Amino acid sequence: MSAKAIERSLWALFAAFMIAVPWIIPALISSFWVSVIAEILIWSLLAASVNLLFGYVGLLSFGQALYFGFGMYGVAIGIQDLGLSFWPAFALGIVASMTMALVTGIFAVRLTWHYFAIITVVFSLIFYFLALTNKWLTGGDDGINFALPPTINIGGFNKSLTDPIFQYFFVLCTAALCFLLMHRLVGSPLGKAFLAIRDNDMRARLIGLNVYLLRLIAFVLSGFLAGVAGGLFAFFGRYASATYMFYHVSGEAVVWAIVGGAGTLLGPLIGTTLFIIVREIVSTHWEHHSLIVGTVAILAVMFAPKGMVGLWNDFISRIAERSGAPVGAVELRTEP
Amino acid sequence: MSEPTLRTEGLTKRFGGLIAINNLSLSLAARRLHAIIGPNGAGKTTFFNLVSGLLQPSHGRVFFQGRDITGLKPHQISRLGIKRTLQIKSVFPQLTVAENLWITRQAGRGFLHPFRAATSDRQTRETVERTLAQIGLSSLAGRQASTLSYGDVALLEIAMAVISEPRLLLLDEPTCGMSPAETERTVSKIRELSRAVDIVIIEHDMEVVFEIADDITVMAQGAILACGSPTEIAADERVREAYLGRDEDEDYVEDAAHA
Repeated sequence: MSAKAIERSLWALFAAFMIAVPWIIPALISSFWVSVIAEILIWSLLAASVNLLFGYVGLLSFGQALYFGFGMYGVAIGIQDLGLSFWPAFALGIVASMTMALVTGIFAVRLTWHYFAIITVVFSLIFYFLALTNKWLTGGDDGINFALPPTINIGGFNKSLTDPIFQYFFVLCTAALCFLLMHRLVGSPLGKAFLAIRDNDMRARLIGLNVYLLRLIAFVLSGFLAGVAGGLFAFFGRYASATYMFYHVSGEAVVWAIVGGAGTLLGPLIGTTLFIIVREIVSTHWEHHSLIVGTVAILAVMFAPKGMVGLWNDFISRIAERSGAPVGAVELRTEP
Repeated sequence: MSEPTLRTEGLTKRFGGLIAINNLSLSLAARRLHAIIGPNGAGKTTFFNLVSGLLQPSHGRVFFQGRDITGLKPHQISRLGIKRTLQIKSVFPQLTVAENLWITRQAGRGFLHPFRAATSDRQTRETVERTLAQIGLSSLAGRQASTLSYGDVALLEIAMAVISEPRLLLLDEPTCGMSPAETERTVSKIRELSRAVDIVIIEHDMEVVFEIADDITVMAQGAILACGSPTEIAADERVREAYLGRDEDEDYVEDAAHA
C-alpha cells in the first residue's frame, strides 16, 4: 500500500469515527467521554492558534489564553448583559478576540523570539488581573453563568446545545471548519509568505514581503482561532471565568501544539487529545498529573522536535521511499 | 545622457564612533556591470545595506533611477526592483527550491490570497519552471533548500533574484567560498544576466572582477578611492597601495593590466 493510500484511508477512518462518536462511545465506554471529545476539539483550536503563529510564522506566543478569554466573555456578556441571541453572541466573542489581537498585535509583532513571548505573557497577565478585579463586568473568579439561547429557532424547529448530540456535532462542525480554513490558508499564497517569514525574515523583507503587516495578519488570524475556541467553550460550559485567561492555559496550549507537532495541520489536535485523555484518566487517581504533562513535553522536545506528527511523517516518507514512489518535481506541499 | 541607475549624494553611515561610509557620492550608469572592490572593512556591504534599506543612512541620500529611495523600508525598495543577494547565502531553508522561487515571485505582488491554493496559480508555476531551467536547477526543484550543496544554494539565490524581474541586482560576493567549477558556472550566469539587467557586484576574487566588470569602483575606509574601467583601475597607483600586502590580488591586477 502506498503512503498516499494509507493516509487517505486513515482520513476516512478518522472522519467516520468522529461522526460515529455520539453512538459508539456511550456504548463502549460512557457518554461522559463524548463530552471529553467535544472538549478536546474545542481546546485543539486554542492549540491551533498557537501553532499558526509558532509553526507557520515562527512567533511563540505564551498569551493565547487572553484571546480565548475574550471569546468566552464576548459570548457570556453578550448573552447575559446585552441579551443577544446565540449567533450574535458568538460573533461578538470572535470579534472581541480578533480586535484584542489586533490591538495587542500592533505592539507585539514588532518583536520576535523571547521578546515576543514575554510581551504576549505580559498582555495576557494585564488583562487577567483586570478581569479578576472588575467583578461588575466579568464576575472575577466566579465568572458569569448564563442560560443557553437556542442555536436554531426557525418557525417551530428549535435546537439548542442542551441536546448533547446536537452540541457534539455543533462543536465538531465548527472545529472541522476552522481546520479546513487553516488547511486552505497554509496552502495559499499568504500561507507560503508566512512560511517564508518563519524560515528567514530578513530574506523575506528583501524579496518584498511586508513582514510586519504579515505577522500582524497572522496574529489576528490566530486571535480568530482562539476566539472561536473561547466562544465554543463558553457555550459548552454555559459560563465564562477569568481563570481561563491565566497564562497557565496559554502554556498548556503551547505544550499541546509542540508535542503534537508545530507546523503541521493536525499536530495541535493530536497533542491536545493526548494530554486531555491523560488528564481525564490520571487526575481522578493522582492530583499531580501535570508532572506527566511536563515529562512528556521535555521528552518530546528532546526526542521528537517535530512532535508526534513529525514522527508519523518520517515513518510515512520511509514507506514512500521503500515503495519508490516518484516525488512530484514542482509540487508545492501544503505542509513543511 | 540617461539617468544613472544608482546615485548617492554624501552618503554617510556611522556606527557609534565608527564611520563605515564617509560622505560617499557616486553615480552608476545604466546598462553596465559595476564591481565594487576594496579591502575588508571598506564599507562595501554597508553600502549595499544602505541601498537595500536594511540600514538607514546617518546622512545623505540614495537615488534609484532618479527616484529618492532614502528612508524606504526594505520591502518597499525590493518592490521598486532592487534585489540583492547576501554575503552569507540566504534562502528559505525549510522550503523546497521551487517554493523558494514561488514565494519570491509572489512577494512583490502586494496581494497574497489567503485561501486559494497556491498550486492553482499556473502562471507563477510556469515562471518558476522556466527560471529553474534557465538557472539549471530543474533537477533539484523538489529538494528542501537546507539539503542543497553550497554552490547550489548560491545558484538558488541568484535564481530568486532573477525570478523577481529585478531592475537592479546587488550581488554580495556571489562566488565566495565556491570551488573553481562553481565559480565558473556562477560567473557565466552573472554575465548572461548582465545583458538584461543592471548589476552591481561586490567581489574579492580579482580574477572574476577583471573578467566581468565594465566599471570598477574601489572603496577604502568608507570612501571612494578610484573609479574607472578595469584597465584604468589596474594601472592606478593608489589602488595598488590600498591592496599592498595582498600579493595574490596584486598579481591579478598586474595580469589584468598586461592583458
